[in-house]
Amino acid sequence: MAEHIVKSFEQELARLRTLITDMGGMVENQVVLASQAVIQKDSAAAARTVEADPKVDDMERDVEQFVIRLLALRQPMAQDLRLIVAVLKITGDLERIGDYATNVAKRSLVLDQFSLPFSLTGLAHMARLVQENLKTTIDAIGENDTDKAIQVWRSDAVIDEIYNALFRELITYMMEDPRYITPCAHLLFIAKNLERIGDHATNIAEKVYYAVKGEPLLDSRPKGDSSPYAMVRLPQE
Amino acid sequence: MNDTMSSQNQEHATIGPMQARSSEALNEVRIAIRNLDFFYGANHALKAITLDLPDRQVTGMIGPSGCGKSTLLRVLNRMYDLYPGQRATGEVMMNGENIIAPGIDVNQLRSRIGMVFQTPTPFPMSIYDNIAFGVKLHERLSRSAMDERVEWSLTRAALWAEVKDRLNTPAAGLSGGQQQRLCIARTIAIQPEVILLDEPTSALDPISTLKIEELIDELKQDFTIAIITHNMQQAARCADQVAFFYLGEMVEVGDAAQMFTAPREKRTQEYITGRFG
Repeated sequence: MAEHIVKSFEQELARLRTLITDMGGMVENQVVLASQAVIQKDSAAAARTVEADPKVDDMERDVEQFVIRLLALRQPMAQDLRLIVAVLKITGDLERIGDYATNVAKRSLVLDQFSLPFSLTGLAHMARLVQENLKTTIDAIGENDTDKAIQVWRSDAVIDEIYNALFRELITYMMEDPRYITPCAHLLFIAKNLERIGDHATNIAEKVYYAVKGEPLLDSRPKGDSSPYAMVRLPQE
Repeated sequence: MNDTMSSQNQEHATIGPMQARSSEALNEVRIAIRNLDFFYGANHALKAITLDLPDRQVTGMIGPSGCGKSTLLRVLNRMYDLYPGQRATGEVMMNGENIIAPGIDVNQLRSRIGMVFQTPTPFPMSIYDNIAFGVKLHERLSRSAMDERVEWSLTRAALWAEVKDRLNTPAAGLSGGQQQRLCIARTIAIQPEVILLDEPTSALDPISTLKIEELIDELKQDFTIAIITHNMQQAARCADQVAFFYLGEMVEVGDAAQMFTAPREKRTQEYITGRFG
């Protein structure tokens, strides 16, 4: 695509893209730290996740103000309009991801006080997939890459499957021994938060796709979270 | 009873499977342009244009200067007839006849297709006579019928309240925006079917511009409108469908919302986003 006749608009759009990918990088880092806090019982990582949150919130405000300025002064059309509106919505998704990461980090501090008789392999796997998806989706924003967006959009189903398995597993542990109810309840929320981060990464992928192509990703995405219907019963006596 | 029946039938006819998908379905066609070519001497100014102007809707025409959009409007009311060496080939069908064919009564055609220009062009006479002048060419009205027609046109052009106490003063005393609305009143006074607007607000201040846009919105209830504008936001606000012209070709036509959010053609995208180089 050729450049704008008005060079300052071209520069502003480049700046907008930098702002949103920077914000994406900050949030991506928060999710890495939060996962580390849980899996490796790293309370310093937890603290850094929580500390980063106000900066992410500030960044969201900066992006919003910049978008409003662009809309008012440039009255963008077509792919410029789509990009600017997509960024406005993506910044909201990123801010929520930051909140979820912060929540995971805070819960990890409670979790540290318990010794668990089971491994967190499933959760670690899930966290890794969520981080990958988030990274890919942020790359998709930076590079206008719809293939990457589609890749993220498709791979969220796996995350949902792991989440469903974890949900059942954790309920089973709670039924086995009530002393594990507190850590398992926290782990349930941690898993749910990670699953939500995956969903927001998917939302971002959809917005990137629309911004680039001008048409929505229409196929119905396989919704994998079946935990609302999950039932784990005590064995019959 | 019959009226109800026929209007129902019309609804069925216009909401076909194609339009049902779009919330802004286009009406039936008022003017059908088919394979229209136009020449200024050897200069091929319009190339195989095919475009429908839907009835009682606004068609916006955009494109860089010299792309052929004004030429197209000049073809639609046969303005080019006034100049030697200019000719059009193809079809412009309106009510079943080809209006660029030789046998057409051009005066009668121009009473059915009115035109408003970029700069207001009031006649050097009173406000009242500016309206009555054109009407007298086509109809013989009694004094009271003419009074009614003048009031009707000025009211439809959203000017009546501002000029009703000074109808006999010179039109030149009006502001630019008022003069442009007077020109629109003059155009609708002869009750045309189609109104062509060639950059009607380019010489007006923002408030007068908004008044004209509001007026276009009102007028499309009764008239089919084609408007040329260089203001993209204006085209987005006023038009139901938008056609993009470049170097004598019509590159793309589509629903206004689609054209400004997700145009199909790369050239359209580059033009409306200000990347044309």
